[in-house]
Amino acid sequence: MRILVVEDDSEAAAAMMRGLSEAGHEAVHAVDGAFGLLEAQKGGYDVYVVDRMMPRLDGVGMVETLRRDGDQTPVLFLSALGEVEDRVTGLKAGADDYLVKPYAFAELIARVEALSRRRETGSVATMLKVGDLEMNLIARTVHREGREIDLQPREFQLLEFLMRHAGQSVTRTMLLEKVWEYHFDPQTNVIDVHISRLRSKIDKGFDKAMLQTVRGAGYRLEA
Amino acid sequence: MKFPSLFRRTPFRLTLLFLALFVAAAGSVLAWVYVASATEARARAEADVRSEVGVLASLYRARGVDALNQALVERSIRGGPNLYLLMDAQRKVITGNVSESPFEGTDSAGAGRWSTFRLTATDDEGRVENRQSIGVEMQMSGGEVLFVGQDIGDTEAYLGRLTQALWAAMLLVLLLGAGGGLIVSRNVERSMGRLNRVVQAVQNGDLKARADVRRSGDELDELGAGLNTMLDRLEVSMASIRHAGDAIAHDLRSPLTRMRAKMEVALIDAESGKTDGVEALHIALDEADALLKTFNTVLAIARLQAAAGRTPDPAVFDAADLAADMAELYEPAAEEKQMEFSAEIERGLLIEANQPFLAQALANLIDNAVKYTPAGGAVKLRARRRSSGEVEFSVTDTGPGVPAEDRERVTQRFVRLDNSRTEAGSGLGLSLVTAVIEAHGGRLMLDEGPGVHDGFGPGLRVAMVLPPAPAPTAAS
Repeated sequence: MRILVVEDDSEAAAAMMRGLSEAGHEAVHAVDGAFGLLEAQKGGYDVYVVDRMMPRLDGVGMVETLRRDGDQTPVLFLSALGEVEDRVTGLKAGADDYLVKPYAFAELIARVEALSRRRETGSVATMLKVGDLEMNLIARTVHREGREIDLQPREFQLLEFLMRHAGQSVTRTMLLEKVWEYHFDPQTNVIDVHISRLRSKIDKGFDKAMLQTVRGAGYRLEA
Repeated sequence: MKFPSLFRRTPFRLTLLFLALFVAAAGSVLAWVYVASATEARARAEADVRSEVGVLASLYRARGVDALNQALVERSIRGGPNLYLLMDAQRKVITGNVSESPFEGTDSAGAGRWSTFRLTATDDEGRVENRQSIGVEMQMSGGEVLFVGQDIGDTEAYLGRLTQALWAAMLLVLLLGAGGGLIVSRNVERSMGRLNRVVQAVQNGDLKARADVRRSGDELDELGAGLNTMLDRLEVSMASIRHAGDAIAHDLRSPLTRMRAKMEVALIDAESGKTDGVEALHIALDEADALLKTFNTVLAIARLQAAAGRTPDPAVFDAADLAADMAELYEPAAEEKQMEFSAEIERGLLIEANQPFLAQALANLIDNAVKYTPAGGAVKLRARRRSSGEVEFSVTDTGPGVPAEDRERVTQRFVRLDNSRTEAGSGLGLSLVTAVIEAHGGRLMLDEGPGVHDGFGPGLRVAMVLPPAPAPTAAS
C-alpha cells in the first residue's frame, strides 16, 4: 500500500514511516498540510495519515480541501487531543477515522489497513466468504463447512466486521468503536470475552482456528 | 488633571466636538436670520419708495410740476424717513429735504436705477451721523428730475445690535460649554479612574482588587459591577486551574514512581540474565500505557471539574439504549467470572448528557462491581425514571461493599480501600464517575447492597442520578 504521512513532528514522522515500511507499506512523508496537498494531488495513494495540528495548513484545512477537490482517498486523522469535539471536527472535515496520540503502532497499522480495505468493498455485497466460513447478510445466517452457526445479533455484527477485514489485525478499541459504536475505555478487556465467545462458536469442532489473537495488537480472522 | 492631558480625555473631546457642532449650527441659523432680516428691510424700503414715486409721478402727470412741488414741500414738512428732491432739467434743485441727489455726477443719474448711499445728517442732539439710505431718481416728462429715497439707518442699527448680541451669545455658549465639558470630564474621569485602578491592580497580579460600586445605577456602575463579577469568576477559575494542576502533579507522581521502580527491577532482572531485554521492554511499554491511561483519566477529571457544572458537548439520547448496550457489553465478562449478571431497564429514559463520558461512568461502575464481587456473586444493573422525573442508573453487587464511614472517601482520587489493593486499577474510577455526574448536575449515591447472606455481602449499591432532558420547546 502507498501511504502519505502528513506530520510536522519529524521524529514522530520518522518512527511512523519506519513502522509502516516494516509492515510492508510504502510511505511518503510531507511536513505540513500545504506540502501534503501538493503530494496528494500527484495521486497514487491508498490512505492519507494526517496530523491535526500543523503549521501553514492544518489537518482539518487539508482534508476539507481534498474532499472539495473530489479526492475520496481514505483519511486517518491523528491528534494529540482526545476530546469528543475534536473527533467530531475531524470526521466532519471528511476524515474516515480518528486516532489519538500517543498510539500503539499496531493500532495505527490496523486502522490504516482497515481504511484501505473499506474502499475496495465499495459494492454492496450480500454474501461474505472467508475460507469455509460464509455469511449471508440478507438472511443473517452464518455457515462453516455447510454447518449453520447460531449467533447473537452482536456476535453477528462482530463477525461481520472481522470478515470484512479478514487477514488484517483489528484492535480491541477498533472493535468497541466500530461494532459497539462507543468511545470510552472499558477498563477490563470486555472485548476479549466477546471474542472468546465468538471463537467458541465459529472455531470449536473445526480443524483450523480462524480467529487468531495477535499479540500486542488484537485479533485477526484468517482463512 | 493637567491641562494638556485634558484634551486626551474622551468626555472632554466629546464636549469640544459637540460644542463645535453646536456653534456651527447656531452660527448658521443666526447668519440666516441676519441675511433674511437685512434683505427684508431693504425690500420693504424699496417697495415704499416705489409706491411713493408712483403716487408723485401720477400727481405730476395730472396736475403738473407745481402740484408736485407743493406735495413735496408738504411731505418734507411732515417729516418721516422718506427723502425727496426735485430738480429741473439742468439738475438745479427746486425743492426737497436733501441738499443733493446721491446720483449727482454718476452716469446712472436719472436712469431709474437704485442706489445705496450714506446720508450725512445731524441727530436730535446735534451729532453728525452717516445713515444708510436707498433711493431712486427718475426723469419727468417735462425734463424735471425727481429723486425719492428712504433713510434705513434705524434698520441698520437694529441689525448691528442683533449681530453684537449674536456674537455675545456665541461667546457665552463657548465658555459655558467648555466649562461644562471640563466638569463632566472631571466627573467621568474620577469614576473611570476608579475602574482603571482596579484593572491596573489586576494587571499587576492582585486578583482581589474590586471596584467600588456607588449603586447610582448608571452605566459606569454597571461596568464596575460587571468588572467585579468578571473578576470573581476569574478568581474562581484560576483557583480551580491551580487546584487541577496540583492534583495532576500529585496524581501522576505515584504511578510514575511505580513505573520507575518496575522498570528498574526489570532492568536488573535483564542484566542478571533472569529475563531477556525484550521482556523488560514489554513491561516498560505496558507501564507507559497504564500511565497514559491514568494521565488521560486525570485530564478528563480536571476538564470536567473546570467545566463547573456545564455538561461538555451535550446531546439528547435515550439512556435506556446506553444501559442496554453496557449490560450487553459487560454481561459476558461477568459470566466469565461465574457471576449472575442481570439488567432491569425501563424504556424511554431521555436525558441530555455527554454520551461518551456517561458511558465511561457507567462502565466504571459495572467494572468495579464485576471486579470486587467474588465468583458466584451477582451484579445487577438498573436504569429507571424516579418519581421526580430524574433518571437513575444503579449497579448493585453482592461483594464486600464499602463501610458507611468510607463511602465519602472512595469517590476521592486514588483512594483504594485496603482489601482492594490486590486488584488492578488506578483508584480513579469513582473519581471520574463523580466528576462526570457533577458536570451533568446530577449526584452519586453509595448505599449498602442486598445485605449479608450465603457468605456474600453486604454488597454495594452505587446510583447515579441525572436530571431528565429538558422538555423540547413547543415552538420548535
